Amino acid sequence: MNRVDEILALIRHVPPFPKVAERVMTLLKDPDVTAHQLAEVIQYDQAITANVLKICNAAYFGIPRKVNSLDEGLVVIGHDILKDIIIASSSARFYQGKVGAGYGLEQGDMWRHSVATGIMAKLLVRHIKDVDQGSAFTAALLHDIGKRFLSSFVADDFAKIVEKVSRENCSFVEAEQAFLGIDHAALGGMILEKWEFDQQLIDAVREHHNATALERPPLTALVALSNSLVISLGIGVGEDGLASELRGDGLKRFGITMEMLQICMADLLTELDRAQELLSI
Amino acid sequence: MKVIVGISDMKVSGNVKETLITYSLGSCIGVLIWDPVAKVGGLLHYMLPDSRLDKDRAQKKPFMFADTGIPALFKECYSLGAVKGRLVVKVVGGSQILDPTGLFSIGKRNYLILKKLFDKNNITIAAEDIGGSVNRTVSLEIGTGRVLLKVSGRGEFEL
Repeated sequence: MNRVDEILALIRHVPPFPKVAERVMTLLKDPDVTAHQLAEVIQYDQAITANVLKICNAAYFGIPRKVNSLDEGLVVIGHDILKDIIIASSSARFYQGKVGAGYGLEQGDMWRHSVATGIMAKLLVRHIKDVDQGSAFTAALLHDIGKRFLSSFVADDFAKIVEKVSRENCSFVEAEQAFLGIDHAALGGMILEKWEFDQQLIDAVREHHNATALERPPLTALVALSNSLVISLGIGVGEDGLASELRGDGLKRFGITMEMLQICMADLLTELDRAQELLSI
Repeated sequence: MKVIVGISDMKVSGNVKETLITYSLGSCIGVLIWDPVAKVGGLLHYMLPDSRLDKDRAQKKPFMFADTGIPALFKECYSLGAVKGRLVVKVVGGSQILDPTGLFSIGKRNYLILKKLFDKNNITIAAEDIGGSVNRTVSLEIGTGRVLLKVSGRGEFEL
């Protein structure tokens, strides 16, 4: 079996994305859905249930009394926050433990990077129209899912990959592609495909390292930009460093200035402070 | 004992047992200053060049910006007994992602404003490791002034 086949064979063993997430998202499309209807579905996923209760009881919401039941919790939090909790709880299970070691990432780094990119994506929705916050958060949270599975292969060829990056000043994904025959963005796209996500989310994950991503559909542009800014801030960044390419001239299309991006970077820090509960999911 | 400096954060110390460390500098810049006589040092990790972007935020978080963070770093060290003429100043960070159009240049701007401030105030940089597309972690031992730098793809070495 050659290298690429070996990597692709891995996808068959990737556990499914929690079904509860999909069912709740469908339910939430109906604005009249009741807390009880939602609870009936959510209760079957212990992690999501625990996280809904944990986040309801976090100081952030300032709810004066303790929320003990899922029904009660779902009345207290709004649907947008519920969507974030569901997606975050469903994704977090793939980022737990010592994942990303092949990229020189410490435990928790990959999750921190993913949450930061998710929050940045939500902040950037103000400048990139035609993208809803839910899709932005989901695609950004999952953009590096391919790293989770490519990490051990990167570890095998680490010295060669790093040497190519520094000698040729190329991007890390270019070196992944050269030595492994596939890169983590492409692999991530395939995983989202297996999980039956919408095509626009699959594309956004697959193309998040495409240098011309800002010329692509809005969600793809948004995820690539969010990732670039979070990488620039060094949040959850490993040995791949800032060796990621994105052509800045694509910003013109959205009327985004450097000043706007700097404000988003500053806002991200404040939001990250407030998102401690999300990080501890 | 390790004292961690976050993003848009600063720590100063006169405790010879302490090591100030900041993880993962990308386009941000880490400024390390140390007085070998007073054994006093400080580490600033700023994120953006110019506080005129948002004056209110700069008041609440002066270490976010070069023009408010750098003066604060020096002042805090002076208050612990450091003397300007003796300070050893080292600077690291200011990377950027690969962008042939040169628009994503916060790292470069972060460095340029520091140079301007230092020139105006006659401050010489003893050592620096700036730019590229790398990620850096840097620490300063207050007792010895030793600065250890870890750069993605280049390993760990003394600066």
